Amino acid sequence: MIKQPLLLSKVNVVYAIVVGVMAVLPFVLDSRTMTILLTQFCIFAILAMSYDILLGYTGIISFGHAMFFGIGAYTTAIMLSDYGPSIGIFAVSIVVGIVLSAIISVISGALTLRLKSHFYAMFTLAISGLFLVLAEKWRTVTKGNDGFTFRAPELFRERLYFYFLVLICLVVVFILLKRIVASPFGKVLVAIRENEQRTRSLGYKTLGYKIIASVIAGAVASLAGSLYAISLRFVNTSVMTMDITLDALMMTIIGGVGTLIGPIIGAGVIEFAQHYLSGLAREYPIFERWIIFFGILYILAVIFFPRGIVGTVSLRYHEWKLKKGQKTKASVKLREKEIQR
Amino acid sequence: MTNILTLERVETFISQYHILQGIDFEAKAGEVSVLLGRNGAGKTTTLRTIMGLTPASKGTIHFDGKDITKMAPYDIANSGIGYVPEDQGIFGQLTVEENMKVAIRKETDATMQKQTYILELFPDLKKFWKKQGGNLSGGQKQMLAMARAFVNDSKLLLIDEPSKGLAPIVIEKVMEAITEMKKHTSIVLVEQNFMMASKIGDTFTLIDDGRTVQSGEMQNLIEDEQLKRKYLGIG
Amino acid sequence: MELLISLTINGLATGMLIFLLAAGLTLIFGLMDVLNFAHGGLFVWGAYTGVFTYAWSNSFLVGIIVAILTGLVLGFITEKLIIKPVYGNHVQQILITLGFMLVLQEMIKVVFGPNGVPVKVPSYLAGSWQIGDLTIIKYRIFIIVVGFALFGVLYFILNRTKIGLVVRAGVMNREMTQALGINIKRVFLIVFMCGAALAALGGMLMAPYSGVVYAEMGMEYAILGFIVVVIGGMGSFQGSLLAAILVGLAGSFMAYYVPFLSVAVNMILMASVLIFRPQGLFTVAKG
Repeated sequence: MIKQPLLLSKVNVVYAIVVGVMAVLPFVLDSRTMTILLTQFCIFAILAMSYDILLGYTGIISFGHAMFFGIGAYTTAIMLSDYGPSIGIFAVSIVVGIVLSAIISVISGALTLRLKSHFYAMFTLAISGLFLVLAEKWRTVTKGNDGFTFRAPELFRERLYFYFLVLICLVVVFILLKRIVASPFGKVLVAIRENEQRTRSLGYKTLGYKIIASVIAGAVASLAGSLYAISLRFVNTSVMTMDITLDALMMTIIGGVGTLIGPIIGAGVIEFAQHYLSGLAREYPIFERWIIFFGILYILAVIFFPRGIVGTVSLRYHEWKLKKGQKTKASVKLREKEIQR
Repeated sequence: MTNILTLERVETFISQYHILQGIDFEAKAGEVSVLLGRNGAGKTTTLRTIMGLTPASKGTIHFDGKDITKMAPYDIANSGIGYVPEDQGIFGQLTVEENMKVAIRKETDATMQKQTYILELFPDLKKFWKKQGGNLSGGQKQMLAMARAFVNDSKLLLIDEPSKGLAPIVIEKVMEAITEMKKHTSIVLVEQNFMMASKIGDTFTLIDDGRTVQSGEMQNLIEDEQLKRKYLGIG
Repeated sequence: MELLISLTINGLATGMLIFLLAAGLTLIFGLMDVLNFAHGGLFVWGAYTGVFTYAWSNSFLVGIIVAILTGLVLGFITEKLIIKPVYGNHVQQILITLGFMLVLQEMIKVVFGPNGVPVKVPSYLAGSWQIGDLTIIKYRIFIIVVGFALFGVLYFILNRTKIGLVVRAGVMNREMTQALGINIKRVFLIVFMCGAALAALGGMLMAPYSGVVYAEMGMEYAILGFIVVVIGGMGSFQGSLLAAILVGLAGSFMAYYVPFLSVAVNMILMASVLIFRPQGLFTVAKG
């Protein structure tokens, strides 16, 4: 790897500014709704990033991602309501959720990740379906479809503090995942996505790599679920449904797969658009069906911009730079990659 | 004699791998042209590229005076090229009869005559007419694959390693069949078995690392010990 | 005994409806490796267009015909617009058909309204026969008969006609079929349209059976369809019938004897097939 300190630092400055802006936004807007909306955005950005590790970096399609989100949400909700709303219990519940998710990822990965992609997709669909049934039927613990409310830790009942926690989580997860995908391990994941057989013939035990990727994705999704539960102070079976997986999928695709920053932007676009479109729905009922717009946008993205918003923008940017004659190594590389596709 | 098939500077990518890097190849009408080269040289990919299964990204392929470079595999087949892949591509759960039926485009008198003719050439196929393709022996599969490729009015047959995995006595039979079919059609043959290639081939083209190295009359290659040693590891 | 018979009839009827969905799915998958997640959307569109014309014309038959036509037209559009641009890329196919499913489902709400629509069984199929203690609902028998009849027709087409032969050959070895001069894309379009029509018909037949149609039913039944395709062996037509009956019966018996497991049983069936016999119970040998 050739380091590009200048470019990197430039990007980092932009990131830092964005995080700074996000930190002061609630004060500027000074609106409860906006704070809640920003919180939701951060939580779904974390979820979408975790999905990107699977889909974008490793090329695995999972239809069961909601399961991990749900495990996190239920673990936190149940532990807080059973053992009291302290920050310590909350922290422990996050860890327990992550461990549970990791165990389930390892088991389902070991069982079916060696199979073709669509088999794994179907398997995750089945397993997450089972968890949904479990959440519905295990009434003594989950209260079934109706769900239950619980008390959040004192500190996080203040919306603003909770928003900061979620924002910090987003930044930390982003940095961690960025490190992981930039590491040799991450390079192997990308190699698996590009050509699994080739990677295997180079001597990598691809199954192990795929399982670890699914463990990481599951753990991060579980964290997002834990945060989600606190943000609502309520949990019901909707956290386990296919809709959650579909949200993560759409955010990742529209934002740009395999970029990490893309899913964050995708989450932002969808969360905010959803908010404003359902506002418009009061006047124009067609906007109640806002999901149609995203469905169409998503389809167009798959066909015409398989790299999503971020991938397409960065490609155009590099092309523009190329035209200007500044043939940086990175842009040439990117171009070559595009041609090969 | 005129060329029935001409490849000029053909290049092919399979995903990002540059497999063919410049293939020039000519097959003359009425002859058996043999593609030679060691394992991984690009012989099979050359045939697949001609068939349009792994389309060429550069260069041109002309068949019978027509540019077929960008055509779809089925159009290429319909323009008169029969293909016998390395694994024979038999439909395992279809009977021999059904395998032939899939191949026959129109049940005209001419094709029916041709089917009768080919079944005389391969009596085994007639014997196992109702047997599933997957249950045939290796030699019988080879014959069925050749029969399928031949039964329409193919002007050219592409045959990929017909001797592979067959017992010597069966190879004899396959060679006889190819010699017989040569009366009706031109043939491009990929063959590792040099004994067989040299016996039935009229011309040779030697490829290595995805490029054409040399081509000429088969007799010249048989006599050129140095070339054989260098590219085929024999001699 | 009466209970066993009526549970069996329930199971068979549900199984047949799922079969109508799964038959198309399995052939589409077998031919092109396309996991068509939009299939449920075709199912629900068939149901709604059929039900509305049925209500408007007062003729169940007209409803069925309209449902089939809807299936054919939507199948054509889906194949051309959605599947074709992503030929050969499995990941993209799964993603795009899933997105289209969402759009189809939401479009139902835009066109026909967001609420469920009640559907009545046509008078000549309504009611039941009473044999001793046994009550047999006529419409269920009707579905079973139609299901088996359609299986028979499809079986005949697949095994006794040239196009059927080509489809079977294509499932076994797509590339070779092309190399023998067959325009596999055209064959695929035909199969896709027929599969869509079957799904749409399935939706229409389902409507009076469940008594109501709603937009989400597409996804629910599509998932059952996928389960059946996985259990039956992806690409196996006969397998999809047997697996559909299996899933239908399992659902109906479980609902009676172990109700809390009835939703889970299909998922467990599919998960175990994927773990222990991923090629499905009835396999199509490739090559």
